[in-house]
Amino acid sequence: MLFILEDTINGILMGSIYGLAALGLTLIFGVLKVINFAHGSLLMVGMYVAYWAVILTGMHPYLVLVIVVPIMFVFGYLLQDILIKPIFKAEKDVREPITVIIVTTGVWYILDNLSLLVFGPQYRNIQGNPLQGKMLEFGDMMISVPKLWGFCAAIITAALVYLFLQKTRMGRAVRATSLDREAASLQGINQYKIYNVTFGIGTAVAGVAGTALVPFFNIFPSVGVLFDIKCFIIVVLGGLGSIGGALLGGMIVGVIESVGPQFMTATWTEAIVYGLFLVFLFLKPSGLFGVKYDW
Amino acid sequence: MNPSLYRKLPLILAALIALGLPLVVTSATYLHILILLFLYAYLTTSWNLVGGFAGVLPLGHATFVGIGAYTSTILSLQYGISPWIGMLVGAVLSSIVGVIIGLPTFKMRGAYFALATIAFAEGIRVMFENIDYLGPFQINGPRGLQIPPLKTGLAHFMFADKEPYYYIILAMLAGVLALTWVISRSKLGYYLVAGGEEPEAAQSLGVNVARAKLMAMAMSSFLTAFAGTFWAQFTLYIHPKSVMSLDISFEIAFIALIGGRGSIAGPVLGAMLLRPVSDFSRIYFGSTLPGLHLIIFGVVLILVMLFQPRGLQEPLTRAYRRVMNGRFGGKEAAA
Amino acid sequence: MNHRHQWMVFLATAVALLFIPGGVMAQTVVKVGNILPLSGPSASVGLQNKQAQDMAIEEINSAGGIKSLGGAKIQMFYADSESKPEKGVAEAERFINTEKVNVLTGCWNSAVSYPVSAVAERYGIPFIVPVSVADKITEQGFKNVFRIAAKDSWWTRDQFAFLKDIEKEFNVKIATLAFVYENGDWGKGFAEGWKKLAQQGGYKVVLDEPYPSTATDLSPVVQKIKRANPDVLFLTSNAADAILLTNTMAEYKVKPKAIIASGGGHADPSFMKAAGKNAKYLFDIVEWETDVNKPGAKEINEKFKKLYGYNLAGESVDAYVAMYVMADALERAKSSDPKAIREALVQTKLNKGPAMIVGYDAIEFDSSGQNKHAALVMVQVNDIGKGMERITVWPKVSRRANYKPVFPTP
Repeated sequence: MLFILEDTINGILMGSIYGLAALGLTLIFGVLKVINFAHGSLLMVGMYVAYWAVILTGMHPYLVLVIVVPIMFVFGYLLQDILIKPIFKAEKDVREPITVIIVTTGVWYILDNLSLLVFGPQYRNIQGNPLQGKMLEFGDMMISVPKLWGFCAAIITAALVYLFLQKTRMGRAVRATSLDREAASLQGINQYKIYNVTFGIGTAVAGVAGTALVPFFNIFPSVGVLFDIKCFIIVVLGGLGSIGGALLGGMIVGVIESVGPQFMTATWTEAIVYGLFLVFLFLKPSGLFGVKYDW
Repeated sequence: MNPSLYRKLPLILAALIALGLPLVVTSATYLHILILLFLYAYLTTSWNLVGGFAGVLPLGHATFVGIGAYTSTILSLQYGISPWIGMLVGAVLSSIVGVIIGLPTFKMRGAYFALATIAFAEGIRVMFENIDYLGPFQINGPRGLQIPPLKTGLAHFMFADKEPYYYIILAMLAGVLALTWVISRSKLGYYLVAGGEEPEAAQSLGVNVARAKLMAMAMSSFLTAFAGTFWAQFTLYIHPKSVMSLDISFEIAFIALIGGRGSIAGPVLGAMLLRPVSDFSRIYFGSTLPGLHLIIFGVVLILVMLFQPRGLQEPLTRAYRRVMNGRFGGKEAAA
Repeated sequence: MNHRHQWMVFLATAVALLFIPGGVMAQTVVKVGNILPLSGPSASVGLQNKQAQDMAIEEINSAGGIKSLGGAKIQMFYADSESKPEKGVAEAERFINTEKVNVLTGCWNSAVSYPVSAVAERYGIPFIVPVSVADKITEQGFKNVFRIAAKDSWWTRDQFAFLKDIEKEFNVKIATLAFVYENGDWGKGFAEGWKKLAQQGGYKVVLDEPYPSTATDLSPVVQKIKRANPDVLFLTSNAADAILLTNTMAEYKVKPKAIIASGGGHADPSFMKAAGKNAKYLFDIVEWETDVNKPGAKEINEKFKKLYGYNLAGESVDAYVAMYVMADALERAKSSDPKAIREALVQTKLNKGPAMIVGYDAIEFDSSGQNKHAALVMVQVNDIGKGMERITVWPKVSRRANYKPVFPTP
């Protein structure tokens, strides 16, 4: 019984980090309505930026957020502005431009292999960072400290994003655009600016997720691929555009991954996660907290 | 020159060139590249039945390739059944799976449908990787199955040279293109296109959109499985990551989108552009600057989508028509 | 000029061009095709292989090339397999048919080497496999495949032999084993071997856990290990998961009496860097280690380290040695014809030169193309004052002087 508790806690903590990674995606998916296959690569870029920031400045891994977040925001903003906006403009009347999917795939291939060329294939991590390997012990149970930090980062980031969307003018404009593009622009909202900002925020959140992973995970060029599909599963589970949904969906996946292996081999839990995903898609495509759109 | 002839001219020319190519191109490497090109053109054209005409974006078609490959391989390795028969069995299995996948997913729109197909494909792949034996059939999990090139000849679908493979895949490609042409002019074709563009309007006119899509999916997965058997007999080694990977599913969809889905020539044109880019950039850059060939591929994808989002088939066809009009007079312009 | 003259110039040029290939017949170059994973998940080891082979070729060429062929230089062509069998096969075909290589080598991933060996056999081009361990590669009855490394059934056999020896040496009885392995061709192959040997040795297997190499969190697997509480843990992992497992096991304070790894990811230089102190006392089986007691080993390793920044590993040594085996065969073949090279490879009895930095004393191929002397050594990772290093501990004759292995884990 204690085992299940320990595993569940680990699942929740790790899952919240998955949720953090998926948070950026759900924002982008929810507002722009396109599949961004480059999300895993954005996560990878975030990890490398955090890694280099710590190595070069010697700061605490979480303090580098002051560097990582602005860099990632600008990166995402420019990416959307330069590569994706032209397509939106060209396909103004198409509800979900499929060509954007191809562009984001191109970005994925380019980012992953550019970092292979530039950084090389080696696996890196930050030796001797203050969070590495620390565990909290409660009797027989052990809880990973870096994952706990990640959990806190996830909750705080989610709260900040929520506040942004609810309380600020820009945030409300984002929500309006996600609900109805045309109506929002009739109200004077420049939808392309909104897309840029959303992409920027989504990328910045991916940067936070990357920073949360860096203290205990390996950093290498194709690390994004590991998280990509998982993030999509979480986004659908949680509901498109729902912040709470992304976190909860992440935790559900995390718990399945942690508790599942106690009853079967770890390789089968992968299949279970896919199966759960499909069940949700069929029964409740809008996810746990998603709004039922007029698709 | 009368108009119907000049419209058929590119087809006749292409057919002649394709048939005669192996006489000129003797290098096995280039034949190999051409065979793969035709294979992907075949895969993409089969995909087009669902992804082009029915207007949805299936991103998990590799699973049908895998089902076809495994079925014919298991039957021939364990029971000595000819791969040609195995090919048919695999195709039938594949279309059953296709319909099973289609039934619930066609109700979804756009991105959700795409994600669902990815989940199905990956779920099936993970299952294959975890199973060593499915009843009496040996699947061998991640280690895959190797086909020993012992008996050659048409009956065994096994050849020492590349030329026979070339002609087989060429015939398959011609067949599937002809089939697509026939369907596009049939009632099913119109139902699909209508259902893809304006499903509510089509349904109000009495078109059973859901049934049309399922039929398209059944056909598409049936045909895709043939390619799986071809792949197995050509490369002689299959394992889940090689025949069922997401990479293949994506590549098929992207070739169609870049060439211009929904048209007949689009997928073939897309294959003719993207496959050589992928193969040659790997050959020339793969060893010096690792990953550069994938960067180039990514750049090509982005550039084509930025400048020709509906695919290259449109501008190329327009350019061809302009040339033809210019040479054969204005009266054809009205034809 | 008039038409007549144009035709004559054209004809003359055409005729001249026909003679050029003839002119190149005097062989000044031996072409070798090398297929490696240079991008994708195995890019790290692919690169190390390439670097080791580059170094060997450069040494051979600057020492005068192949003297029996008039000082012919070796020219290496590289191709990226992306770890995908169909790309490896395509590149093998291209090397053989377009580049017309005389020898083929590669491919690191067993899943790629396996079908490529069929291609080499079909065209009669000798295929030297430095590293891929899958047994089946040399068990197909082919005549053109030559493997330097030991096959994986030998690896598992030696892991258990080591276990028996060390039980005896330290008078510690081992009863329970746990097998944790990556769910790929390699991991599964080892697991099959382990299960058989465990049965023969009378050990009880308390955990048989394949895991996906691409997992993002291995804590559940580590928890299973902890709860199964084995005496000895056997691991087969790639680099990323090896690092994750080792660090996570340290976090959860999982300490079986011994951990025996299988090379691969554990032997990757990234692993030592990333796992740091957590890798202490780990046993790893490899074909070679930097402290092997062979002349020239230290110097060659220093040279490699200076060029590339990290030590040679067992696999890169196999790649390095493969080039010398090839050069030796070329010398004896006195020809660059693939058939002749193949004959010469069959007769290989190499026991001197830089190839002998391997832990054993000679390279000879048996009738299936397997290097019959290929032997493995077991190392222990430990810090004896100069930072974490890998110390050879078994077979006893190869053990580093003055080092007593630490067993069971304190």
